[in-house]
Amino acid sequence: MTSLTAHGFPEQHVRARARNGTSEVFPPAGSYGAQLFGATIDELDEARLVPPVFMPQRLEKLIELGREPMHDDVDLTTGIGGFRAALPVYLSAFGSTRAGSGDLSVAASRQAARLGIPMVIGENMVPVHGYRRNGAGSAILARIREYMDACDDATGGVVVQQSTEDADCEVWHLIYTDPTVQPLLESGRLAFELKIGQGAKPGLGGMTVVGAQEAQRLAGRFAVREVLGEGGWLRCASPGTFTEEIVRQQLRFMRNNFPKARVWVKFHPGRDIAWAAATAWRAGADAVTVDGAEGGTGWAPRVFLDQVGLPLHECLRRIGRPEGCLLVSGRMWEGARAVRSLALGATAVGLGRAALLAVDEDPDEGLIRLVDCLALEARLLVSALGKYSVAALGPDDVWLPQSTQERLAEPVRIGAPA
Amino acid sequence: MHPIDDNRGMPGPLAEHLRAPATKAAMLVQQEALQAARDFLRGRDFTELLPPLIGPVTDPGGRGAKALDVDYYGNPYKLMTSAILYKQASLRGFEKLFYIAPNVRVEPVETASTGRHLVEFHQIDVEIAGATRDDAMEVAAGMLMFVVERVWQNVPDVLRGLGRDPIVFHELLQGGFEQVTHADAVERLLGQGHPQSPDAEIDWIGEELLSHKADRPFFITDYPKGSRGFYDREDPDRPGLLRNFDLIAHGGYGELVSGSERESNYATIVTRMRESGENPAKYSWYLDMAREGIPASAGFGMGVQRLVRFLTGLDALWQVSAYPKLPGMVAP
Repeated sequence: MTSLTAHGFPEQHVRARARNGTSEVFPPAGSYGAQLFGATIDELDEARLVPPVFMPQRLEKLIELGREPMHDDVDLTTGIGGFRAALPVYLSAFGSTRAGSGDLSVAASRQAARLGIPMVIGENMVPVHGYRRNGAGSAILARIREYMDACDDATGGVVVQQSTEDADCEVWHLIYTDPTVQPLLESGRLAFELKIGQGAKPGLGGMTVVGAQEAQRLAGRFAVREVLGEGGWLRCASPGTFTEEIVRQQLRFMRNNFPKARVWVKFHPGRDIAWAAATAWRAGADAVTVDGAEGGTGWAPRVFLDQVGLPLHECLRRIGRPEGCLLVSGRMWEGARAVRSLALGATAVGLGRAALLAVDEDPDEGLIRLVDCLALEARLLVSALGKYSVAALGPDDVWLPQSTQERLAEPVRIGAPA
Repeated sequence: MHPIDDNRGMPGPLAEHLRAPATKAAMLVQQEALQAARDFLRGRDFTELLPPLIGPVTDPGGRGAKALDVDYYGNPYKLMTSAILYKQASLRGFEKLFYIAPNVRVEPVETASTGRHLVEFHQIDVEIAGATRDDAMEVAAGMLMFVVERVWQNVPDVLRGLGRDPIVFHELLQGGFEQVTHADAVERLLGQGHPQSPDAEIDWIGEELLSHKADRPFFITDYPKGSRGFYDREDPDRPGLLRNFDLIAHGGYGELVSGSERESNYATIVTRMRESGENPAKYSWYLDMAREGIPASAGFGMGVQRLVRFLTGLDALWQVSAYPKLPGMVAP
């Protein structure tokens, strides 16, 4: 190395790539499983909730109650994708990633059930961990059982994702025909989620880091690539190919094949998100989940973490008034971001990284306490807006910074480009 | 009670079931029916092949039925849910072929009480190169009429002993089976107050309701895409509709036959696989063949046990199988 320098140029990054090769495309492999990834602050955080002075809906509540309404009069119960939930909150998918499929995810399942909120189980669990009935090693069944043991008989529900590689293992068939899952099916609390995209890496499939031995084992089902240097192997799932017609037909197929299960769809924050969401609702999806480009539990190339995909706020803007149940996730953890999302069109918000951190803090009560905080904040905020149900929230409740308002004036286009 | 709300009884221990007079009668009818089907098809220059039992992929099917996995020298193989892909492939050497094919489908548990589902069953599986849907429907109808006539000729006492009356088949033997489109069938069901989805298969109850209204078998055609496998050909003139058909027996017995014109264009097959959520990479042997060229064709499968149940008038499909396995029930 000479004394060559390049001020104002990302010299250190260039040198690191020259030194270490393709492993520099990713975060340090040593942090996989111990670190969650994502952006820090976005426009949705910069928006403010703006209570009015005059509150006709508070008057309605006053008349209904015969006394002045308080924040605990806010009804947070919500219909989420065909389920009844105690709160407008669900447990987001974390799948086969190391952070998402260990004891933490089982603890999160139990607490989600106690909270009466739906739980989404992420993709690639079965191709990676297998599906053994009555077997201790089945990560997916461990989570479902934990949920079923702790839930009441009316609220919440379990949602199982399926990706292209999952389809090879017929995950939905396995779940749908498993006698131990029948109570969920019979009580209308089983849904299948078609996984179309990754929030943290729009346009790509799921990625994890695996050791050389596991890479060999998984090579038949996934692409495994040696691009991380000595840090391990990169396991890539295919993103799957989708067109409007493919989405429409796959949803019809799901409804036809699994008539007792609810149908959910998860999109990455694509630039055609409004068109995609409308396609899904019109094909009968009970819920559309949009995962904003805000990071996640898995693994993503550095360039995707902060340079690819629409921010969640922009997704909400493009979708406008949703035609059906819209679920959003990305950096959710407290009441204000949740209530802003609900006011801008979402039906419920998903907890991903926050849920894992909470159960990591306390595997027995961590998520419950976190959600209690969120619920209390939500009640305070919604009542401050002079409203007493989540459904009553609307875009007027949110004030956006000037730059965002200007963009809001642009028309939202739904449908195929001309 | 709704006709399919009862469980139509359940099979007893296997030894008892094998000794039952009804089982014996059903087997006598079955062998006549199979012989008649073979005679009919052989008389029309079809070649009988024996189907494969396992393969790297099988018919992905629909309605929530799952294929069973087999470990084949370390490779994940499937037991055949149907040999449709092999039927298409075989057209290269055999222009008109049929199988009497054993199939295994792990059906959803809720189908155990329809009286019309078994995990292990057989099909008379027919494929005709260069044929249209009308050609296939004509063969299916002709075969059904031929079989019914032959069975009544050869074992009338067995049928009468089971309480069957030839009058039930009088209209059938006149032919002229009505054709209704799926859309019209949905309309009829909605008119009867049955909540049938317009873009799904006719559900079990709906099928039975329509079947009860008929005095002879009838065809339902033009199922919507999304209700059937990727191999049923989409109508080029009416996108979203398939050039397929079911033959439904009258008297509440429901579907006997499912068939269609087939997709044979490589790019269309790949696209249709994606539309049905399949991973094309799994189907490499079939797609390689499709790239080289598979003849256009039409064909169908007639359920052997469903046919025998219809002939015998027995209540449930398990009564016409020597070794019945009902969905969700563990049996020898």
